[in-house]
Amino acid sequence: MRIIAGLLLLLISAAGSARPVSYVGGWTLIEESNRQSTAALIHYTPSPSWSLGLRSEWVRDEDYAITSLQPTYLLKRWFGQDYQANIYLQGGIGLASGTSGNPLSSTTAAYAGVIADWETRRFFLGYNARYVDAGHFGDNAMQLVRVGWAPYEGDTQDLHTWLMLEVDHRPESKDPVSVTPLLRFFRGPALLEVGFNIVDPTPLLNFTYRF
Amino acid sequence: MNMMSRFLMALLFLLLSTAVWSQHEHGQAHEHEHEHEHEHEQSVSENTADAASVTPATGRLTTTPEIEAALANGGTAVVADVLGVVCDFCAVAMNKIFGKQEEVAAVYVDLDTKALNLVFKPGASLDDEAIAALAVQAGYRISAVHRNAAVLGS
Repeated sequence: MRIIAGLLLLLISAAGSARPVSYVGGWTLIEESNRQSTAALIHYTPSPSWSLGLRSEWVRDEDYAITSLQPTYLLKRWFGQDYQANIYLQGGIGLASGTSGNPLSSTTAAYAGVIADWETRRFFLGYNARYVDAGHFGDNAMQLVRVGWAPYEGDTQDLHTWLMLEVDHRPESKDPVSVTPLLRFFRGPALLEVGFNIVDPTPLLNFTYRF
Repeated sequence: MNMMSRFLMALLFLLLSTAVWSQHEHGQAHEHEHEHEHEHEQSVSENTADAASVTPATGRLTTTPEIEAALANGGTAVVADVLGVVCDFCAVAMNKIFGKQEEVAAVYVDLDTKALNLVFKPGASLDDEAIAALAVQAGYRISAVHRNAAVLGS
């Protein structure tokens, strides 16, 4: 029962990342910056069900960075004439290193997470959860829920605009729960998200480009 | 007015500006037909296992300059109804996958009609199963393929 409830919760939630698995042979470049970290990721999709990426993430306040290999597996995709829903499993293993004079030595880091989304041309729901173990640099967990609404339905190659609200939960943060209103602009292979966290005043800037 | 209020107002202004701009641009985009045609329609049922109940899309070809040029060169047209295409990333994926096929002269994914529009080179073609398999590589599913006169509305 709990598993079913959990899956339902995942399904009716949605994701921060836009399509972490691309088309076969596709490369995707992603930049993400939020109140905790700034990350860059490039991934390649060899199969419709998984992608493999190289991710570099700077955890700014903790003065360390993780460089990792990040596989993403499309666990399930639901198709409809007017919607698409996905559940992805994501993991990573790599090296955590100190930044900004942090004297701690480099160590192995690993993380695991789940991304779920449901999307039509008008509405978006998403959920993203991740746990990171960075050895002596510490561990942290986060989850976020995002809702979105498009004020109009753009056709192919139009500029697509979304008004979104993201609520994230980071138990170790001084503000465990925060809210970020943001705008998503989307055209062809490029996606840009601009927002501002109104609880922990920090800009959000995400960019995705699909080759 | 504090910084947060200014930021939110700027976001609102950006949103309204882009909405107006995009609607204007959309109005000048491709013309779509909205009549239902079912002639020579073949269901690709093996690829709809997870699909919800499906109502047919228009089954009519959306024309672009590239598609018109390919037709003028003697190409044949196919329109495939696609499940799950809700954004431009979907269209990019389909365009990339089908655009690489040597049989394909022009491709256009229409989000409004939820259709993959293909024109093959003269004398070339892909069967329904091949189209469905390529759609899977792009991450999507085909629910029906329409061919010949029906897609051109003749």
